[in-house]
Amino acid sequence: MYVSLDWLKDFVEIPSNLDPKDLADELTLKTAETEGVMNDAEKFENMVVGHVTELHPHPNADKLKIAKTSIGKDTHQIVCGGANLVEGMYVAVALPGSWVRWHGEGEPVKLEKAKIRGEESYGMICQSAEIGLDNPNEEPEDILDLSAQKPKPGTPISELFGESDTVIEFDNKSLTHRPDLWGHYGIAREIAAIKGYKFKELKPKFKAPEKGETVDVKIEDYDLCPRYCGLIINNIKVEDSPDWLKKRLKATGHGNHNNIVDVTNYVMTELGQPMHAFDKSYIKEGIIVRRAKKGEKITSLDGKKRELTQDMLVIADHEKPVAIAGVMGGENSEINSGTTSIILESANFNAASIRKTSTKLGVRTDAVQRFEKSLDPFMAELALKRAAEIILNICPGAEIAGSITDAEKFDKKPVKIKLDTDKTRSKIGVDISDKDIKKILESLEFIVSGSFEVTVPSFRSTKDVLIEDDLIEEVARIFGYENIPASLPMLPTKLPEENTERFKKHRTRELFSHALGFDEVYNYSFYGVKDIKNSLLSEEGHVKLLNYLSEDQTHMRTSLIPNLLKNLQLNIKYFDNSKIYEIGRTYKEIGEYFPLEEKFVGGAIIQKGKSDDPFYEAKGAVEAFFEKFNIRKIKVVKEIQNCPYGHPSKALTFLSKSGQTLAHVFTLHPQVQKNHDLNGYSIAMFEINFTEALKLDQPLRSYKSLPKFPSILLDVSVVIDQTKEIKTLREEIFKANKELIKKVDLFDIYEGENVEEGKKAVAFKVTMQAPDRTLTDEDMTKAQENIFKNLEALGGKIRGKA
Amino acid sequence: MKQEIEKLEKAVLEELKKASSSEGLKELEVKYFGRKGEFTAILKGLKDLSAEEKPVLGKLANITKVKLEKTIEAQRQKLEGSTLEKELKTEFFDTSIPGKTPKIGHIHPLSQVQEEVERIFSQMGFAIMDGPEVESEYYNFEGLNIPADHPARDMQDTFFIQDKNDPKHGHMVLRTHTSPVQIRTMEKYGAPLRIIVPGRVFRYEATDASHDTTFYQVEGLLIDKEISLSHLKGVMAEFLTRLFGNPVKVRFRPGYFPFVEPGLELDFSCLICNAKGCKVCKNTGWIEFMGAGMVHGNVLKAGGIDSKKYQGWAFGFGLTRLVMMRHAVSDIRLLTNGDLRFIKQF
Repeated sequence: MYVSLDWLKDFVEIPSNLDPKDLADELTLKTAETEGVMNDAEKFENMVVGHVTELHPHPNADKLKIAKTSIGKDTHQIVCGGANLVEGMYVAVALPGSWVRWHGEGEPVKLEKAKIRGEESYGMICQSAEIGLDNPNEEPEDILDLSAQKPKPGTPISELFGESDTVIEFDNKSLTHRPDLWGHYGIAREIAAIKGYKFKELKPKFKAPEKGETVDVKIEDYDLCPRYCGLIINNIKVEDSPDWLKKRLKATGHGNHNNIVDVTNYVMTELGQPMHAFDKSYIKEGIIVRRAKKGEKITSLDGKKRELTQDMLVIADHEKPVAIAGVMGGENSEINSGTTSIILESANFNAASIRKTSTKLGVRTDAVQRFEKSLDPFMAELALKRAAEIILNICPGAEIAGSITDAEKFDKKPVKIKLDTDKTRSKIGVDISDKDIKKILESLEFIVSGSFEVTVPSFRSTKDVLIEDDLIEEVARIFGYENIPASLPMLPTKLPEENTERFKKHRTRELFSHALGFDEVYNYSFYGVKDIKNSLLSEEGHVKLLNYLSEDQTHMRTSLIPNLLKNLQLNIKYFDNSKIYEIGRTYKEIGEYFPLEEKFVGGAIIQKGKSDDPFYEAKGAVEAFFEKFNIRKIKVVKEIQNCPYGHPSKALTFLSKSGQTLAHVFTLHPQVQKNHDLNGYSIAMFEINFTEALKLDQPLRSYKSLPKFPSILLDVSVVIDQTKEIKTLREEIFKANKELIKKVDLFDIYEGENVEEGKKAVAFKVTMQAPDRTLTDEDMTKAQENIFKNLEALGGKIRGKA
Repeated sequence: MKQEIEKLEKAVLEELKKASSSEGLKELEVKYFGRKGEFTAILKGLKDLSAEEKPVLGKLANITKVKLEKTIEAQRQKLEGSTLEKELKTEFFDTSIPGKTPKIGHIHPLSQVQEEVERIFSQMGFAIMDGPEVESEYYNFEGLNIPADHPARDMQDTFFIQDKNDPKHGHMVLRTHTSPVQIRTMEKYGAPLRIIVPGRVFRYEATDASHDTTFYQVEGLLIDKEISLSHLKGVMAEFLTRLFGNPVKVRFRPGYFPFVEPGLELDFSCLICNAKGCKVCKNTGWIEFMGAGMVHGNVLKAGGIDSKKYQGWAFGFGLTRLVMMRHAVSDIRLLTNGDLRFIKQF
């Protein structure tokens, strides 16, 4: 919202030496966020009128010209590409140091002396848009031509186009809760309170004939329209508005229509109360404020035909709707050049209803923006009188036909709040005296009686100030947030509960990133049907979004895998091999209101070429995770369930003692791999149910006494059928001497040259140790014999055995 | 004879000074202590001395010999040491060959900053809380004093879930902020409370370089008997100062959020220009950081806390924004697209 300083001065005595920037800053700190202060003199700083005395072609560019330009005393060389540039033209020159917007777009840039294609250019000759002027007649390649005016070269541009006014821009969002600040009048009142300046109350000169023509108003639903004030003015002449009015509307960002419509906009901008004017000749009998009938249609002022629904409020005559109440007027009763008699409307509507109608119709107008904030019904009458005053001023023949019709049913009892000043001090954290609290509230037109019974002024009590805390806010902000000291609260003696899961999440990251060399990624919580299909998942069990932004964000993920696959797809462009993981939530539909949210660690290892290594590395990573958190008694089975993206025989499930699935490790299903265009790579993945796994962690490990006698090592190498699992071989080795064999470590598997087809050579390191003695050669030989025997029973041939 | 011994001693020490190589030392040893050495000759002559002189001069000669030998030995070690040093120094060894680092992976910047935030608040006695991301309208809106027709619901463009409706909870949404956890924690633990809630939130909002459907927030809540806005200033100044490792100032501006009253915006002093004004802070010297305020009575009530006994404040800031600010990340989408060229930088 734009606020004109000149206009504010109608209502508050602002000293002329006050820097508007300081005022804006103070408003930001005490009232609402201001976004900038615009001053025409500043906008046109370092811009002057130039006279092109000579024009030459640019030696290095066809489209550019070199213009010798006089700016009064001096003549400078300026490079310019304006299509309409001719010798003798009067132009706008932006000198070095000025701020322009290239072709009227983007952020303003500060000009400096420059060389353009090798030729010196002292500033630039500007298009209208480049210096913030609106000139619809200018062609896109043209520059601003001032030749018609022939101003003296060197004249500041601000003298030609400048207004002496300064405009402060407010951030609309920061005014959401302040219905009273949507006009100059309210802002002026706020400034008066903050700065202690005198506020000038508006008292429009208004006199209506006691008997005469009045508007017949019938309100069907007072909940939606608590007040409707109407007034007839005759003998109107519709024409252009006077300059002063146009200027103010322009400064605050409004267009010009005609004197009547402009006055309604003017009053809205001044008081924050939207108004409407109907051409009376189109209104049959009187005004009825009612809900729209089923299927009722209206063409609104923007020319669009709109179908209304029964929950929308309309302003109707006895035949048809003539306006969508508080949203937009109808074309059928619009003010036109032939209008001679008008009905002025100044009403109050229910904020929620206006908002709903506006959202449903997709129309947001200045009126909606204000009504949806809950306006003060008292303002309606004042605004109507003010509008009538101005119309009579600018339309000399106009006559008020009769008195104001005031249909209303609203609560006029002021809001009273009891304020506990001790609580006020305690909440703000500063010692403000009762006297000062009273002074602050009174400056804002609150009435304080007794020991703090506070009466809220009507313009603040529609929704903004209703409870004690609202008053505390008033005290705090006017006292000055900057005056509140920073202090630390006492630490409670009772320490908070520790979020061990969070803590372990960070430890898990350290494990995967810093120890295992994975990179952590973050993915969205959703994916699309295509991702579900490509991963061979089923749509069932998914939580689905009702509204979504793209087809690949329609379902909440039930697994981290699909999005990780997309990460792989992206990253093979840059890396042949990578290892990634994500810690995130899955969301599963379980037939209850709230879906099941679980935290998972998902990961992927990708290598170019064909290899089984990624599987074993992924398996190792998962084992490291269980080891890190000391999660014991895990059963590993060679089958997977609910893991459709896994290769059915190259996969493992890690189960808890109670049978809960804790993790899957798998080589990617070849179909899934193909669906993701990942052929030519070896990919293994894992998913750990972090939530379930951490229920089983054992933070404490107990110490086992260190061995007192030395261990001995024994190498065993066997050639055996490829299909015999390492697990079986190890079991057979252990069986050889359950008491003494402590460890069986695989250290090599070999297939290929020198090994018979269909066989593999496997080598183990066997550690033997006794708790009570040093082992003898005999112990070893005996164990070895048993090992050999057991392996041979499996069909193995011991290597190196005589 | 005594003079002779002393003279020889002097001579040895003199020559020792000049000996600059181990060869030179060897020659010196032969010259004095060899079979035909000068000192050896003296020792040999001892037997011809008188019975009175023999023990006295014999002792002197022996002491001197031992002393000189020790000195020579020390000199030898010194010379040899420097020779080794010289050899080592001239040895060729290429230290410029890149070091062998184990492959260390990278923790996502969001996780890194989140951990730091959690650590600082933990030190100030805040517990870290969690809540569901798929949330009910009740917890996300009504409980936080944002009724259905409230304009604030406009600002919270919301993702809704299909086919979920409940008489108490309303429709189901993806939480638009971490604030629902305020109510959930109040319900569960009551007052006093001192928590932060870092978490993922969602907005139904077109994506561009600075907006994404998914981002991270940190909610804070402190409820006790005499908690004031002054404490909010203190805690946030302390937090930001520790986070940035430099003194940071904070300021309040009025702001509006339905779940607090008074409502505030909190800015902190721009560290890039030292609050003098620069491009980053749009020449204001201040960086807009978060919304905050005293918890609204209706919210305390929804959480089952007696607002006559307890009061406190809440805040919410963008963790994602903080990460972007800290690491000068210009496109928010880099944080969720899994591009390792980005992640490997952290």
